[in-house]
Amino acid sequence: MNAKLKETILNPLFSVNPITVLVLGICSALAVTVELKGALVMALSVTIVTALSCLVLSLLRNSIPNRVRIIIQLVVVSMLVILVDQILKAYAYQIDTQLSVYIGLIITNCIVMGRIEAFALANKPIPSFLDGLFNGIGYGMILIVLAIFRELFGSGTLLGFRIIPQAFYDAGYVNNGLVILPPMALILIGCVIWIQRGVQKELQED
Amino acid sequence: MDYISLFVKSIFVDNMIFAYFLGMCSYLAVSKNVKTAAGLGVAVIFVLLVTLPINYLLNKYVLAEDGIFGVDLSFLTFIVFIAVIAAAVQIVEMVVERYAPSLYSALGIYLPLIAVNCAIMGGSLFMQNREFASCGEATVYALGSGVGWFIAIVALAAIREKLQYSNVPKPLRGIGITFITVGLMAMAFMTFMGITL
Amino acid sequence: MNTNSNAYTIVYTSIIVILSAAILALASQALKPRQDANIKADTISQMMTAAQFNTEGLSNDAMINLYKGAIKESFIIDNKGSKVSEMDKAASEIFSTSKLKAQNSILKRGKADQMKLPVYVFNKDGKDITVIPVYGAGLWGPIWGYLALEPDMKTLAGAFFNHESETPGLGAKIKDDPSFRARFVGKSIDLNAKPAFEIVKGGEGNKSNAIDAITGATMTSRGVGAAIADWLDLYKAYLTKAEE
Repeated sequence: MNAKLKETILNPLFSVNPITVLVLGICSALAVTVELKGALVMALSVTIVTALSCLVLSLLRNSIPNRVRIIIQLVVVSMLVILVDQILKAYAYQIDTQLSVYIGLIITNCIVMGRIEAFALANKPIPSFLDGLFNGIGYGMILIVLAIFRELFGSGTLLGFRIIPQAFYDAGYVNNGLVILPPMALILIGCVIWIQRGVQKELQED
Repeated sequence: MDYISLFVKSIFVDNMIFAYFLGMCSYLAVSKNVKTAAGLGVAVIFVLLVTLPINYLLNKYVLAEDGIFGVDLSFLTFIVFIAVIAAAVQIVEMVVERYAPSLYSALGIYLPLIAVNCAIMGGSLFMQNREFASCGEATVYALGSGVGWFIAIVALAAIREKLQYSNVPKPLRGIGITFITVGLMAMAFMTFMGITL
Repeated sequence: MNTNSNAYTIVYTSIIVILSAAILALASQALKPRQDANIKADTISQMMTAAQFNTEGLSNDAMINLYKGAIKESFIIDNKGSKVSEMDKAASEIFSTSKLKAQNSILKRGKADQMKLPVYVFNKDGKDITVIPVYGAGLWGPIWGYLALEPDMKTLAGAFFNHESETPGLGAKIKDDPSFRARFVGKSIDLNAKPAFEIVKGGEGNKSNAIDAITGATMTSRGVGAAIADWLDLYKAYLTKAEE
């Protein structure tokens, strides 16, 4: 594996993580991390959409007029997402009812467009695809960490299964209602950043 | 609903940042100093003001089943809204690049990212969902949400400017402490929640 | 080629936009029959779940058959409670969610007297269960649902709620969390009170026409409450008449 490829793959996971370093995709990170299931669905969809959009737009990159590039990018991305939604609605209705909530969040997810702007428009299709793929994974990682924490302490469950035993509740334990509210999600991301930068000292700001 | 209460409500009660957490990415990233923050704030107000009335009219007269085509085009809602928003952002980008090059370089990638700023898409979707009675109401709502966003980003930028002088733990400096600050600000804003005007 | 010339920019943009719209329109047209069948079965499942039928895991055809077997009457009324027209029972005609949405727009425009309101009467274990829809706005998008009433037209036999885009894990619980709709069972509506039914934050106390809101989903809960109150108001005349 050559150095550049390795960088494309590893950077989005840690030292250039889309959430904790680039500060992209925060809205959805707050919205879907109340429970683990939502976070997994969102992580998966965003990874697929980012990878495919980066691939498509990288193929188109030399033909797009600079002045209207934003419109073109968004039209292509939303077309892909809506098309998938329509097909699922016809052939896998139950899955679609689960996913339809996320459609708007995926289209307006800054990661998709951020990576297209910053990488895909200046690079060849294959590296762009990988960049999109691993940025999606890097994003999903943080989402899952947040969701585990929020679902466990907010509702006492994981993926809907009760983890904190009933005996605790009987003994007076109560779920932390604050954790499921968005402000606490912000503070949690702050803590994740704190830990990450404690380890990776080169990321610290002055 | 009368315009003044709608305006005040959309600034404080329905604040895009603190009540709905929309438009967070650029909010957090471009709040290092008050001047740049104010620049982005104005850009957001402008884009909201332009796109909401246009999307309102499109939604009412083109996409709806009783619109000019007589067919339900609601499957095109997202793509139409986002195309209008992208066009408005593109115009803003060109204007800023031409007349305020220093602001242009300070905003960097976050300027084109206004197009995917959820606050703006959210504004359009809220407008559709709430079924405002007139284009005037949609415009007032756009202005209110924009001003709410502007106030939020300028307030955060002011806090961050002051934070420069405090002794924050090293790994938390910059974006880390900003997240925590916004979390606390949002908790404070929760007191507005549920106030009906 | 100069990709920054005006002509190129305009032509390129038009081609991409028209192509995208065409692909979507084509997909939407081609897939519509299948989608409609799915949507119809889903709508039936929503109202029958409200009426406490077990609809879990049924195929579209099985769902229609269940509906045909259980439906006793289905008709449209106006807000004064008089019957306007019958729905086609043989074709298991239903009032779709998009039709409800259109009716809600009429309501929003202040023309409640022009509304068409569907009523379904199911035969469940020998009892007549009346099912009526409600519609309103949640936090992010529309929410709607069905209330099932016992023969006394007061006691709730059950309820079902659905939404377009509420927050997963919070507002989305109105649909995903069966314990939310279970809170409605056995409660009653009080048409003389304002509102006829309430969703209260922090526990309903001993009120029989109220239930507890979802923690952390204040706006969605409030939306459900408003939808129920608004639409019960429209059915008030019919329900009062039917009670006598």
